[in-house]
Amino acid sequence: MAVGWAEIICQFLVGISRSMILFIVCAGLSFILGVLRVPNIAHGSLYMIGAFATFSITKMVGGSYGFWVALALAPFLVVLVSLVTERVLFCHLYQREHLMLILFTFSLSLILGDLVKIVWGAEYRSVPPPELLKGSISILGASFPRYNLFLIIIGPLVGIALWLFTTRTKIGKISRAAAVDREMVGVLGINVSWVFAFAFLIGCYLAGIGGALVAPTVSITLGMDHTLIIEAFLIVTIGGLGNMWGALVGSLIFGVTHSFGVLFWPQFAIVFPYMAVVIVLLLRPKGLLKSVW
Amino acid sequence: MLRVESVFKSFDEFMAVNGANLQVERGEIVAVIGPNGAGKTTLFNLITGLLKPDRGKIFFKEEDITPLPPYEICRRGITRSFQIVNIFPRLSVFGNVQVAVLSHQRRSSNLLRPADRIAVKETREILETVGLLDKENFTAGSLSHGDQKILEIAIALGNEPELLILDEPTAGMSPEETQKTMELIKKLAKMRELTILFCEHDMEIVFSIAQRIMVMRHGRTIIQGTPEEVRSNPEVQEAYLGEEYA
Amino acid sequence: MAKKESHLKGLWILGIIFILLILVPPFVPRFFTYILALIFVTSLLAMSLNMVVGFGGMFQFHHGVFYGVGAYATALMLTKTSLPTWIGFMAGPIVATLTGLIIGGFCVRLTRLYFAMLQISLGSLLWAIVYRWYSFTGGDDGIHGIRMPPFLQALNHSYYFILIILTLSLFLMYKILKSPFGKTLQAIRDNPQRCEAVGINVRRYQLLGIVIATFFAGVAGVLFVILERSVFADLLFWVLSLEIFIMCLLGGWFTFFGPVLGTAIIISLRTFVGKYTEYWTLILGIILILVIFFLPEGVMGYIQEWFKPGMKEAGQEGKKVDASSRIGL
Repeated sequence: MAVGWAEIICQFLVGISRSMILFIVCAGLSFILGVLRVPNIAHGSLYMIGAFATFSITKMVGGSYGFWVALALAPFLVVLVSLVTERVLFCHLYQREHLMLILFTFSLSLILGDLVKIVWGAEYRSVPPPELLKGSISILGASFPRYNLFLIIIGPLVGIALWLFTTRTKIGKISRAAAVDREMVGVLGINVSWVFAFAFLIGCYLAGIGGALVAPTVSITLGMDHTLIIEAFLIVTIGGLGNMWGALVGSLIFGVTHSFGVLFWPQFAIVFPYMAVVIVLLLRPKGLLKSVW
Repeated sequence: MLRVESVFKSFDEFMAVNGANLQVERGEIVAVIGPNGAGKTTLFNLITGLLKPDRGKIFFKEEDITPLPPYEICRRGITRSFQIVNIFPRLSVFGNVQVAVLSHQRRSSNLLRPADRIAVKETREILETVGLLDKENFTAGSLSHGDQKILEIAIALGNEPELLILDEPTAGMSPEETQKTMELIKKLAKMRELTILFCEHDMEIVFSIAQRIMVMRHGRTIIQGTPEEVRSNPEVQEAYLGEEYA
Repeated sequence: MAKKESHLKGLWILGIIFILLILVPPFVPRFFTYILALIFVTSLLAMSLNMVVGFGGMFQFHHGVFYGVGAYATALMLTKTSLPTWIGFMAGPIVATLTGLIIGGFCVRLTRLYFAMLQISLGSLLWAIVYRWYSFTGGDDGIHGIRMPPFLQALNHSYYFILIILTLSLFLMYKILKSPFGKTLQAIRDNPQRCEAVGINVRRYQLLGIVIATFFAGVAGVLFVILERSVFADLLFWVLSLEIFIMCLLGGWFTFFGPVLGTAIIISLRTFVGKYTEYWTLILGIILILVIFFLPEGVMGYIQEWFKPGMKEAGQEGKKVDASSRIGL
């Protein structure tokens, strides 16, 4: 089968749009990794909660603007969940060894996973894209879904917002400083525990947004956390741990190789991104961009 | 036996070692002194291969050991103790030393014989020499700081080194412990015919046991010579001793 | 010597447990025998992991891959070739060990989290291939109905076979951990830098540790095939790797038998609690959090603490030391 240029371009754009969701989720993961130094396995579960919450809110509100309300509210539900876990449990563990923290986030993912099952059940759910973004546009004769176009726009917006937040606001600067030099922040008389809590919430918020954005493009189901989290970890690593732009680069590599895989050798499509990750890690084990570790 | 030739090492912008020279002859006890941050520990890390110099060469028994990894340098006959206690906290005291002895005897990769029966004599001998034999079954991490520092030295002895490098062997010790440790070092030098290179900030100790002294400042070697030569050197007096003797 | 006495006591306990396990099958329902056998298989896997994690201090985050590769190697040999069964059984550990050598060879160049990430990526690559290569591995359907030789047809026979192999493997692992190599591996866990300084080629020993551990993971993979007569791609998925990692931490990763206990707890929970509620992972999560807060050395570590002069196992000489500075990221 000959593959035309139009399809290549379209598939490339699909890859980029998928990358944007990965980027938003991974930026959150990377942020937590940078500031708290914890690989948050529960991140995938929070993303899943974001997606399920989007489903429920969209359905509840209904109408043409249901999705938009969900997009605004669902991430805050995720933040609420993470705020509770952080303050009740997680904050008591910061002094403990890292394997224990990883174990904790894993336990959390188990619990959250089952809570999702209790609340939403095990059926597949789907969210229709909002009225405004239904259908597709034509690029060189090939059709390209409007919703993906929307993703391509919103990804950079979130990135810029996060960048502004970490460079322009006081709390953002403090978190960044905490990522680079933890002692320093303690010396400045800042309550490190709250900085951690805050960074954790920001990261989880991003996971929630990612979940909300992905909702119209996939069938929402239990287990979506598992597939996401491993991809997210690898992306964050190839980008450079704790580096937000690294998360972007990593997501693009992952998303685009996957979409080209789909185009050229669908059966092995998922092999391609892993291959790309392996190649990057063999050449640059500490990631492409500078890691804060 | 050991020759360090104008070695440089920088961390980012900071020149930690900025042209150090050092010569150690067989059987000598040589001290490196200098104010805090003069680059003594970095120099030791360079000699033992934990760090690689930016420039310069290090020779041991006329062999260029600069490019070798730490474990190879150790096998050539140089071992060291660390300034900050650097032991195996979950192993027993016996186990700590035994690991080094096994490594020296090239038996670390023996898979099937129980370790309890290998290298026991040698390990006990070392523990006896340093006076830790009665604590051999203690978990190393539970020892007092002073004992851990002694264990540091004991581990370094496990490889039967020709050159023993001690990085502030008495750091954090009480005066009595310091006294005992210094006696131990002298005893070791005599008993095992060791060459010893050490650094220490207690001047009294340095001048009492070192046969030759190298003075470092801002990563640079100022002088290397006998205690008398060092004492009478004007630059040393100004740079270092001045503060204490003036 | 007190040490010797406690050693003997430990042997007695083990002997009694072993005899009980031999006597059990005729008296209990088939299902119970099956679950016990499954615990044996998974225990072996978890213990092989613990060799590198608890005793080697490495972040072996994708150990399941070697188990899966071993199981697939055997399954493919048995279904695609007409070679004798025992060659198929040999293929598991051999292929697993080779995979361990290759993946481990890349990983030991790195430390801690980077080690873990490289291993996860390499392992996931293998998983993706197995998961998708329908014509060879059966893809996500896996391979089912693998024929066993006559002496392994009945469940009870498989049970005994698995028990014997498990016992032999545990004995070997115990020997290895008590050997100079085992001691050196533990020293590397405690302080790799110091090991370099006493003349130990840390990477080489780490690699050897990984190779040995992956060999036993391969053995466990073969046992899995014997028990289940099928293989599927989930064996190589990272969730399983994490699960066995959790078994080690839960049971007590600085103790020899900890992983067995952890495995028994998790599998029993899944089987017996899973009967009453579909939310058993919720309960598991809560138990894990309780362990993190109250039993940081794991259940077995806690038990050993309790009966201090009781069983004395490899690696137990490390009580009461906070290893956080050594094993943290």
